[in-house]
Amino acid sequence: MDTVVRNLRVLRRMTAAQIVQQSIYRGAWIIFMAANICVPIISLLIWRTAIANGAQLPIDDRYVTSYFVVLSFVTMATSSWLTGFLANDIRLGKLSSWMVRPASLLLTFVANNVAEKFLKLFALVPMIGVLWWIFRDSMNLPAGPDRWAVFAVSLVLGAILVFTIDILIASLAFWMDDVTALAQARVLIASVLSGAVVPLALMPDWSRGFVDNQPFRYTVSFPVEIVAGGLSGQELLVGLGIQAAYVFVFGILARLVWAVGIRAYSAVGA
Amino acid sequence: MSEIRTYADNRQPLDRNWLHKQWRHLRLWRRFLLQAVVRETHYRAHFATTLLVGLVQLGLGIVPILLLFGFTQEVHGWSRAEVITLVGAYQIITGLMAAFVAPNLQRMTEYIAEGELDGVLLRPVSSQLYLTLRWINVAELSNVASGIAVLVIGLVQSGASPNVPQLLQAFVLAVCGLALLSTVWSAMSFLAFWLQSVNPIGFIYLNLVEAGRYPLVFFPVPVRAFLTFAFPVAFATTYPVQALAGDLGWTPVAGGIALSVVAVTLVRMLWRRGLRSYASASS
Repeated sequence: MDTVVRNLRVLRRMTAAQIVQQSIYRGAWIIFMAANICVPIISLLIWRTAIANGAQLPIDDRYVTSYFVVLSFVTMATSSWLTGFLANDIRLGKLSSWMVRPASLLLTFVANNVAEKFLKLFALVPMIGVLWWIFRDSMNLPAGPDRWAVFAVSLVLGAILVFTIDILIASLAFWMDDVTALAQARVLIASVLSGAVVPLALMPDWSRGFVDNQPFRYTVSFPVEIVAGGLSGQELLVGLGIQAAYVFVFGILARLVWAVGIRAYSAVGA
Repeated sequence: MSEIRTYADNRQPLDRNWLHKQWRHLRLWRRFLLQAVVRETHYRAHFATTLLVGLVQLGLGIVPILLLFGFTQEVHGWSRAEVITLVGAYQIITGLMAAFVAPNLQRMTEYIAEGELDGVLLRPVSSQLYLTLRWINVAELSNVASGIAVLVIGLVQSGASPNVPQLLQAFVLAVCGLALLSTVWSAMSFLAFWLQSVNPIGFIYLNLVEAGRYPLVFFPVPVRAFLTFAFPVAFATTYPVQALAGDLGWTPVAGGIALSVVAVTLVRMLWRRGLRSYASASS
């Protein structure tokens, strides 16, 4: 228990420090968020045009609109960029200095991740607000606060899931010289399987069983679906269960690989 | 202004005339290209990764189109085959940009914030040209090749058989599109003179250009105007493909050329202004 409390205290301090550090780049965050919102807007306009033009989609334009308006927020909130940095720290031996400190190197990445999202929020929320206002009449939004609460829980679980998958891939740097290509492959595959490019509801029927149950759906698409609609109460519960299970499994896996990796670690000075 | 005092001997100017100057720059660019090819042979793994990533990206780019046309036969007069042709054109243009322009504009922050521009200004070469075209990423040309393949597949599927004037129209339009996108991106990068760091601005460009994957008519009217005149990606993809399909006159071609001339002039002015405000980071 003491370790948890101590780690939380360290995390709080490091997050505060990271926020101060990263707020130097506040101009850059605004531009980054403006860039991130471009592709969801493009997709939104394309699919709305297709529906207006008579395409017979399994979802209506209210779903599509709410989906893409909420999408950029969820991709931001569940994103992580640690793979490259963590792999570099392992490869170049920066990990060595952390091994004698009373906290894990991973904790800095958690702090970095939380700080980065906190600052991005200020840039992104106004932009989504404008988008929301433009499309306010053609969106499905859950009325009661309970759906929003479930959305918040699922968002946190999604963020943890992405973070652990990234730790898992970065940890391979203990054994491989270069994980860049692997990380890039993961980003590309995830962009389609997470629903960040096309809503998963539009995937062909033959892929349903796979698409609905693979882990990447629970990193982005599932939280968005909770808000955009189309999930019954039961589907919601089952989904949350699967999401929690994935977090648990990937958490254990990442923990295991990290622990084995630390033992295999042999950088100069370790 | 009084005469400049100089201790150097009188020498012939470097260029006899305007034409000679252009020729000299062309020869210089040929050197850049040759050097880039030699460099690339040292990093064969880089070539393989770029090729592979490019192919995967191309495949993933086609996924939304295939899904979309699974639900409908045509959207605003565009069939699936025509949109695939357009994806090919998009891949060619973005590949060319990534090969010849991107490696330079991504260095703009370094050039200006770290004072590397000083070294460039001293050289007997147009500094704007040098900064925009010095570095070439040869591996990206593999994406141009795959783009050509997709373009041809799309053309065959849609049964288009463009004649020579239509091919010429498409070519001129694509060149205009390339020039326009380069000038827009350059203009965004030259803001480094005033903003110090423009690396994130490159992301805006890269995300906005994604709109070029789809025909212009897929967007609402105000967005179409934006994608034609402000961020003219329409000239790079939609118009050339329409020209190949044969439903475009010479008017858009003339418009493209006129717009390119205006854009190049404007970006040239922006560059001159920027240079005047450049205070050098090292001296």
